[in-house]
Amino acid sequence: MRARLPDREGVVHRDGVRVAFEVFGQGEPALLLIPASPITHARSWKGIVPSLARRFTVVTTDGRGTGRSGRPRTPECYKPAEVTADLLAVLDAAGIDLAFLVAHCHAVPWALCLAADHPERVAGLLAIDPAVGVAPPHPHTVESEQRWAERVNSPSGWAMRNRHFWRQDGGYREWIEFFFGQQLPEPHSTKQYEDTVGWALDTDAEAMIAEREGRSAPAGRQAEALCRRVRCPVRVLHGSDDRCQPVARGRRLAELTGGDLVVLEGAGHLPHGRDPAKVTRLITGFIDMITGAPMHTTTWTRGPCRPRRALYLSSPIGLGHARRDVAVAKELKGLHPELEIDWLAQQPVTTVLEAEGERIHPASRWLASESAHVASEAAGHDLHCFQALRRMDEILVANFMVFQEVVEEGCYDLVIGDEAWDVDYYWHENPELKRGQNVWLTDFVGYLPMPDGGDREAFLTTDYNAEMIEHIDRYPWIRDRAIFVGNDEDIVPETFGGGLPAIRDWTTRHFSYSGYITGFTPPGPDEVAPLRTELGYRDDELVCVVAVGGSGVGQALIDKVVAAYPLAKKAVPELRMIVVTGPRIDPAAFPQHAGLELRGYVHRLYQHLCVCDLAIVQGGLTTTMELTAARRPFLYFPLGHHFEQNFHVRHRLDRYGAGQCMDYATTDPDLIAAQIAELAGQPVSYRDVETDGAARAAQLIAELI
Amino acid sequence: MRARYPDSEGLVVRGGVEIHYERYGDGWPPILLLPAWSLVHSRHWKMQVPYLARHFTVVCFDGRGSGGSGRPADPSAYSDAAFALDALAVMDATGVGSAVVVSVSRGALWALRLCADHPDRVLGSVFIAPSALLVPPLAERRVQRFDEVIGDPVGWQTYNAHYWKMHYPEFVTFFVGRIFTEPHSTKQIEDVTGWGLETDGETLAATDRALEGSDAAAPRRLAAQLAGPVLVMHGTQDAVRSYGEGEALAGCTGAPLVTLAGAGHLPHVRDPVRVNLLIRQFADGIRR
Repeated sequence: MRARLPDREGVVHRDGVRVAFEVFGQGEPALLLIPASPITHARSWKGIVPSLARRFTVVTTDGRGTGRSGRPRTPECYKPAEVTADLLAVLDAAGIDLAFLVAHCHAVPWALCLAADHPERVAGLLAIDPAVGVAPPHPHTVESEQRWAERVNSPSGWAMRNRHFWRQDGGYREWIEFFFGQQLPEPHSTKQYEDTVGWALDTDAEAMIAEREGRSAPAGRQAEALCRRVRCPVRVLHGSDDRCQPVARGRRLAELTGGDLVVLEGAGHLPHGRDPAKVTRLITGFIDMITGAPMHTTTWTRGPCRPRRALYLSSPIGLGHARRDVAVAKELKGLHPELEIDWLAQQPVTTVLEAEGERIHPASRWLASESAHVASEAAGHDLHCFQALRRMDEILVANFMVFQEVVEEGCYDLVIGDEAWDVDYYWHENPELKRGQNVWLTDFVGYLPMPDGGDREAFLTTDYNAEMIEHIDRYPWIRDRAIFVGNDEDIVPETFGGGLPAIRDWTTRHFSYSGYITGFTPPGPDEVAPLRTELGYRDDELVCVVAVGGSGVGQALIDKVVAAYPLAKKAVPELRMIVVTGPRIDPAAFPQHAGLELRGYVHRLYQHLCVCDLAIVQGGLTTTMELTAARRPFLYFPLGHHFEQNFHVRHRLDRYGAGQCMDYATTDPDLIAAQIAELAGQPVSYRDVETDGAARAAQLIAELI
Repeated sequence: MRARYPDSEGLVVRGGVEIHYERYGDGWPPILLLPAWSLVHSRHWKMQVPYLARHFTVVCFDGRGSGGSGRPADPSAYSDAAFALDALAVMDATGVGSAVVVSVSRGALWALRLCADHPDRVLGSVFIAPSALLVPPLAERRVQRFDEVIGDPVGWQTYNAHYWKMHYPEFVTFFVGRIFTEPHSTKQIEDVTGWGLETDGETLAATDRALEGSDAAAPRRLAAQLAGPVLVMHGTQDAVRSYGEGEALAGCTGAPLVTLAGAGHLPHVRDPVRVNLLIRQFADGIRR
């Protein structure tokens, strides 16, 4: 799912060529982001658009030859004059008189032409890794450039930049895969690599060849003269390890235009993809420098006069974290009554927080929805949560930028992030942005590959784990305290992947253990009967509660369980089944049976789970551990391809001796009915779940205050 | 030792009164740090000058009646117009055509006059804890009777011309105590007290009488006409001029107000880092 959808989409047509654009936000000034089309298109800006659009009007365009634009196949169609005319037409269509231009690579000459020829339309130019011929190209690109039109036998490396090779079967793809491998020299760039290769394959060899042959970018004196004609303010960003364009070009461009140069040390050719937080701040800083940073009516409180304040981030994926975080916050306030806690949180967590009277930071409304993204990634009884997390990259950076503004303005002493992936990742990537003490909580450590993902998935999970380990090793001061919600034995006996440490050893070295945090105290043995009566359950019936959480993911499981109901009812006549569909699934969509009740919402569902005779649930940690703590028999169905539910949660439940793990794919209604008959109402012998987890976590946090 | 010494200094003479000025650094836009009340001289900017001078040309001068400047006896020499003309003379002498004008406390009056009469010389104005007489004085100051003879005056009653003749140091001690309401301000109190004792009660009385003859409606009128960007900052714990003064100035200029929660009357002395950053941000905005 995208972090932000455009507020307006449009196309302009020039001489029969369609050029698509999108408009985000409505603030001043306006920005036009110009991609190096057609090898890439507007989506290449995905890491920076959502946060920029909160302040500015942002216009993106696909550029002729790719994306939703037309794909003319003659070189004449790609002359600079044609592209700049497109850009002017887009500005006109978007109703923008004056814009800042942000251009990448070979889009920079277009932006320079616009700025030089139409100074009244351009307020400033920010050039990223400019391909401007004011300094020599990289030597490794010269030869292939010269032999572009020659027939070359089985070329490799840069020599694949060849019009004949691109026309060969698979040639263009092979070149693209090589090229973007070169452009992302930063370790752990798998997602950016997949993205850029994918966007490059949105066009084809013919459009690429036509563009290359029609480009005719100025070089030497001509290029210098063009730069000198630019009157607007200029900022150049250039990666020190850019293998497409040498830094000398960026440096010379800055000199010729009187602009400033920011060298991004260690960065490659795609810093807006790989270091989006930094690039966003360099863009906003540039605009602020030119237009004057807005001076707002505001309050600055003298340091010694400030109340102690914490900002709490609760992961919005599932509701489980909300209750445990509220429990930790309550314990923390018990230890530090003067502590003010603000929550940066989104639906559905905010529902719980509002009910508890917690203070929700107003900037929460800017957060892009992580739970909607996860729901969009699920299908049937399947959620590949590792890939879903990878594909959440633009949502994470968008939300991080919101978070960063909140901590910079809010003077927080403490940030508590319960699986706040965005904060943890981007503070390690941009350590100079850290504010206040930082607490990291999680209930699992280590990405694990699903077996059917093969070598590729094993490689990816290892790479993500390695990046995390390197983060912690390099910047041990980013996490002031890391808390594992559980105990050391809850950690899977696996390694982080080839050559990396064992997860449990590493976690013990870098985390404190709080024990499990239930967020509530389950009823004692003599409290169960009165609670059952209160909830309307009789002693002579066997109550089976089926719950699938708040998202739309549960339909497939409910279908199977409802199909099993008549069989189970025949075997267990005293069976009463309560199916909680959640707000996204219509209870009326299922067949009706006597003794089967379908409900959209059940207030205080955990109380029902605590007194039922059997529960049927998914493999999420919170619900299964609630059932473990309440000592109820239960069947759980881990979601397909969900490594956390299939490995981490299952390992933990096995340690507690709790629950019957079921494989959704191979389980039919007969088996479910048989399991119901076997387990409903049967006593269990689980390991006790601690009830002091929230207090222990709060104690670990309180030591920092 | 100072953190930074001026790159040049000198005197301008206007109507027989010498005005001592200093110029630091080199950078656009220039920043003119105006005098406050003549109780203090230009060293009250000591926490701003070294930082701002790394980025901008900074000019400051001792207000007439203080520091290295002359001390005319006639109250009419201390009108807001006189201070504003001193500022212009200093800008001319330092080669500063136009500047961001930063004022503190009573310096707001000089700034308003300068901006109104010479808008072409002002790029923008920052008001710190302005005392522009836009709102009534604090309740506790209503006991002030400047020209009455008061037996054994206490508190704000010591704001009194007769008392200053014999007990000027006691008044300075009292007044500086009201400036710094923040805990742990001993060094700032010593500094300002020391600067205050470098002038005398007679001179200070003359500066105060200059206000008596002025047009009470003028500041509001001038503020409403203020051109260019404006920023106002005011401490919530200001016990000399109420926070309402800052609100009123921001209100009638339409300027943003930075509320300095917990700050007293001279936040640039007590909270120099935040004030420096605010001035820098403002000046950077002018640079566009």
